[in-house]
Amino acid sequence: MKNRLEEIRKSRGIRQEELASALGVSRQTIGSLENGRYNPSILLAFKLARYFGMQIEEIFIYEEDEG
Amino acid sequence: MKRKGFYRLLAAGGLAGMAAGLMLLRACPEGAARTAFYLMVGLGSGVFGHGAGMLLSFRAVKNAPDAARQLEIERKDERNVMIGNAAKGKAFDLMSYLYGALVFVFGFMEIGLAPLLLLVAAYLFVHGYAVYWRVRLEKEM
Repeated sequence: MKNRLEEIRKSRGIRQEELASALGVSRQTIGSLENGRYNPSILLAFKLARYFGMQIEEIFIYEEDEG
Repeated sequence: MKRKGFYRLLAAGGLAGMAAGLMLLRACPEGAARTAFYLMVGLGSGVFGHGAGMLLSFRAVKNAPDAARQLEIERKDERNVMIGNAAKGKAFDLMSYLYGALVFVFGFMEIGLAPLLLLVAAYLFVHGYAVYWRVRLEKEM
């Protein structure tokens, strides 16, 4: 699943460490999310969306052939 | 604080077990019971090490609340938890093959029926436990 997390985070001038701390996850988790290596739980996706004041679909892009 | 008390008890119990084992080894220079005393020393030192280690880590983060919070985050982090569980799953699969092979090897070595059956029972118990958790989690999730 692709996402716009890095783009959104950078546009708001937030460091990975700050975002991780605010969401209660490790910085590595944020890095892995941004690289697309890790898909978050629905809970973390909601936390991220709420943090940025956006909808989940605005951050994460679901592609039909992902299975 | 409750956890701290538990680890204090663990460290004290381990130390007591280790000391008792050493004293019993000195008091009893011969006999089959010495194996049990050696086990007491080994287990005691392991339990003491775990308890003391945890107490030391509590002390280390006592005056560093930021470090304590970071450690807690790392421990609960969903990706870390998932990685840990996946690693455990892989290790369990490997252990199943290795343990199965070991049972065969011991069978061919003719180590005796009683220890062989014990090994098979332990192997089946572990796999039965895995099935139990699968069924339970199927119901819960």
